[in-house]
Amino acid sequence: MKASFEGSVMRSAAWLFALAPLLSGGVFAQEGGESQGGGEGEASSSGDEAKDEGDWFAVVGGDVHTGTGAVLRGATVLARGGVIREIGHEVDIPADAKLLDATGLRVYPGLVALNVRGVANRFGSGDYADSFDPYSQNLVLALAAGITTVSEGSVALKLKRREVKGVVMRERFLSTLNYSTSAPRSKGELEQKFDAAAAYLRRYREWEEQKKSNKDLKEPPARGVDPSIRAILENRTLARFNSTSRTDLLGIARLAQKHKFRPVVEGAVEAWTVADELGRAGAYAVVVPRTRRDKSEELVRAGGSSIENAAILHRSGVQVAIQASSTFVDLGGIAGRDILHLPIEAGFAVRGGLPEQAALDGITIVPARILGVDHRVGSLEVGKDCDLILLDGDLLHYQSLVQYTVVDGKLVYEKDKELYYAHIRPRPVAQAADAPQARRDKGEDAASASDSDGDGEGKPEDKPEEKPEEKPEEKPEEKPGDGASDGDSDGRAD
Amino acid sequence: MLLRTFFSSLLPAALAASALAAPADLLAIRVGRAETVSHGAIEHAVILIEDGRIVTIGADLPVERGIPVIERPEWTVMPGLVLPYSRLGLDGSAGSEFAPDVSPAPEVLPRLSDYRDALELGITTIGLYPPGNGVPGQAIAIRPKGDTLEEMLIKEGAYLKVYFRADARSKKMIKDAWAKVDDYDDKVKKAKEKWTKDQEKSKSSKKPAEGEKKDEEKSDKPAEKASDSGKGAAKSFVPPPPDDKVRPFLRVRDGKLLPLVSISQSADWAHWLDAIGERKFDFALRVVMQRELDLYYVLEEVAKRKCTLVMEPEITYQVATMRQRNLPAEFASAGNRIVLIPRGEELDAHASWRVDVGDLVKNGLERKSALDALTLAGAAVMGLEKDYGSLEKGKVANLLFLDGDPFEPATKVMAVMLDGEFVHGEVRQ
Repeated sequence: MKASFEGSVMRSAAWLFALAPLLSGGVFAQEGGESQGGGEGEASSSGDEAKDEGDWFAVVGGDVHTGTGAVLRGATVLARGGVIREIGHEVDIPADAKLLDATGLRVYPGLVALNVRGVANRFGSGDYADSFDPYSQNLVLALAAGITTVSEGSVALKLKRREVKGVVMRERFLSTLNYSTSAPRSKGELEQKFDAAAAYLRRYREWEEQKKSNKDLKEPPARGVDPSIRAILENRTLARFNSTSRTDLLGIARLAQKHKFRPVVEGAVEAWTVADELGRAGAYAVVVPRTRRDKSEELVRAGGSSIENAAILHRSGVQVAIQASSTFVDLGGIAGRDILHLPIEAGFAVRGGLPEQAALDGITIVPARILGVDHRVGSLEVGKDCDLILLDGDLLHYQSLVQYTVVDGKLVYEKDKELYYAHIRPRPVAQAADAPQARRDKGEDAASASDSDGDGEGKPEDKPEEKPEEKPEEKPEEKPGDGASDGDSDGRAD
Repeated sequence: MLLRTFFSSLLPAALAASALAAPADLLAIRVGRAETVSHGAIEHAVILIEDGRIVTIGADLPVERGIPVIERPEWTVMPGLVLPYSRLGLDGSAGSEFAPDVSPAPEVLPRLSDYRDALELGITTIGLYPPGNGVPGQAIAIRPKGDTLEEMLIKEGAYLKVYFRADARSKKMIKDAWAKVDDYDDKVKKAKEKWTKDQEKSKSSKKPAEGEKKDEEKSDKPAEKASDSGKGAAKSFVPPPPDDKVRPFLRVRDGKLLPLVSISQSADWAHWLDAIGERKFDFALRVVMQRELDLYYVLEEVAKRKCTLVMEPEITYQVATMRQRNLPAEFASAGNRIVLIPRGEELDAHASWRVDVGDLVKNGLERKSALDALTLAGAAVMGLEKDYGSLEKGKVANLLFLDGDPFEPATKVMAVMLDGEFVHGEVRQ
């Protein structure tokens, strides 16, 4: 690369370069704005390629919380090219695989944080593929908080470190709509748009039927049909509403039931009062469990915020996603309210009665579904991206810290080697250096300390409710924090 | 080492002396110490100068009688400072455009006091770059003295300035620039095919082999050949002339023009690599030093590419900490060549330039790299390393005379020589 190239070589190289998009669509598709809605196709094509090549990576000996309900004690997650190939106990690990010893640690899917700002550090006006900062401090802090996927604006982003390729996972999957009883006119217009789009789709389907017998029939004109509403009704995008009040939420639920689409309601403070209606609509609710809001003076019925909000919604069949109360990495504000404490926010929902499995879902697979990227992230399953986090305790426990974060089968965060939390309860050196063989006993220890959490994959559904999750008072590896690292790093992240 | 320098320099000295029928322009300077930059320091150095160039340099060389000698055993001499990245004396401005063919030459006003001041500080070569973001044009190299632009100008097209930030616009600009190069290559290829066919048609009997061989040669350097289109069109293939905006990038591709890419953080580097993709060409980096700079993430990647970095002599902080980092030193020890430039555009910054670099030396920058960063490395960025930037035989006699170590704050400029002539300081034989 130092010397200038011979003209002929350069020419052929340039020629290949020009041909590349035709051949594979790979290089350019990855970075270009290709991902508009066609997420599935792109993922499968690049996924197939990745499966046959790429580096092997294995997380060995951890308690794997797959996020599908199953917990595998002392299991191995094997990935190649950033895609999970196998999860289980007797996994053949190729000799050249990079190993990460998870003995005594818990393995969870990487967290998905909705409506984040400032993590991907967007500089310019262009799209994220061209302005993502893979070195930003906020990115590292997010990884340290266990977050591996975020949505900023209408874009779902994979938090890759030191890389800029393949960052944008999906764009414009959510379309934001306004529905407010305080603005009756726009509310009415929105309802009309839905009616018009629904009527059009009925005509369209009729036409499709009749076309079989009568080929001369013309396609019904799509004039006056809002394309974004049509996309919602055809399940190509999700409708997102930001509504806190009971009446709005009720209206949205009714609208969704009428037109049979799944709404995403954000805010949703009073959603617990209309949870059954939202459940019938198959809604997703994005809630901030710590939100406090008094009920309206005029309201006779129940209203205002409730700590049970998430729990009640969950019981009513609403898929609950949990969001932190402030949407950015906040190093100056009140600690614990920004996205760096997403699991703690989920913990508040658990306090209000939400099952732990649902709380985990609320920061992994449910937000992944809302972003339309659940085929890639949100749980640990074969064929999905190898995005996982390793913790020294239960994810929802306030004391647990993320020890390692893996994105696309690459180790991108290691607590003991970063500035931020290294000095807090450092892991014993011997354990960190341990070979994977010595894993069993440690795993058992952890298993017995935590009660019968993952004994069987047979009943994934009711398992979460059955156990009040353990609160390990003293962890075996815990040391009195003596501030091992040097002075200017302490307490940074808080 | 010293011995070798001695011998190798003794010989030309003798030669010069023997050819001394008319020692008109010959001048010998004897100083206490010479920082050659290219070959370390020489104590008790003697420099012989003729016609504005260094004829020889060595320790304790005997000087032929008749040659005027300047004896300054208390002085240190070093090459005149080379400042490759400057807007000294220019005040034009521009937006963000793709204009790789623009030169700042029309902006230059000769006889400005700025140049005089710079010269008195020992700055003998200056690279002036065109204003604006995007790809604003090519820099020129000047000597800071002269009544006309022609007298001042050393080189046009010293490097191509590229302002790059991690955003869609910057990336598109770079990708489009290279796409145009590809388009041009296609055009040349098609034209050549057509020409070959025509050739075969017209004179299929006459030695086609030779003709084809010529094509190969020609099309290797289409940018060059475009100029001599006057020659017989039938004999050799003449590629279509490239557009003015394509030509600079053709030269970049052929290693004849060095892009100097301005970045301000690691993310810019990552997206720059993404934007250039698989293309291989040399480039240098201009790093905008900010209080917090996260470039330590890419030290090794940059070193792998053997990039020269142009940066200010500043100590920066690790992001979000009070941890100081001497990034110039870190880049230098990672294997990169660095160019250090004054910390600002104002005269004070130029005056403290050497001392600012000295601060970095005190904080761990190797002295050798620091001297290189003030002189030869800057000349290399402008493609002038053959003639400027060090005290070597055959190089232009741009000399800076000091009364002590270059990096000591108390050291003063005693004299400045430009092209073999003293332009500052009172020097009597």
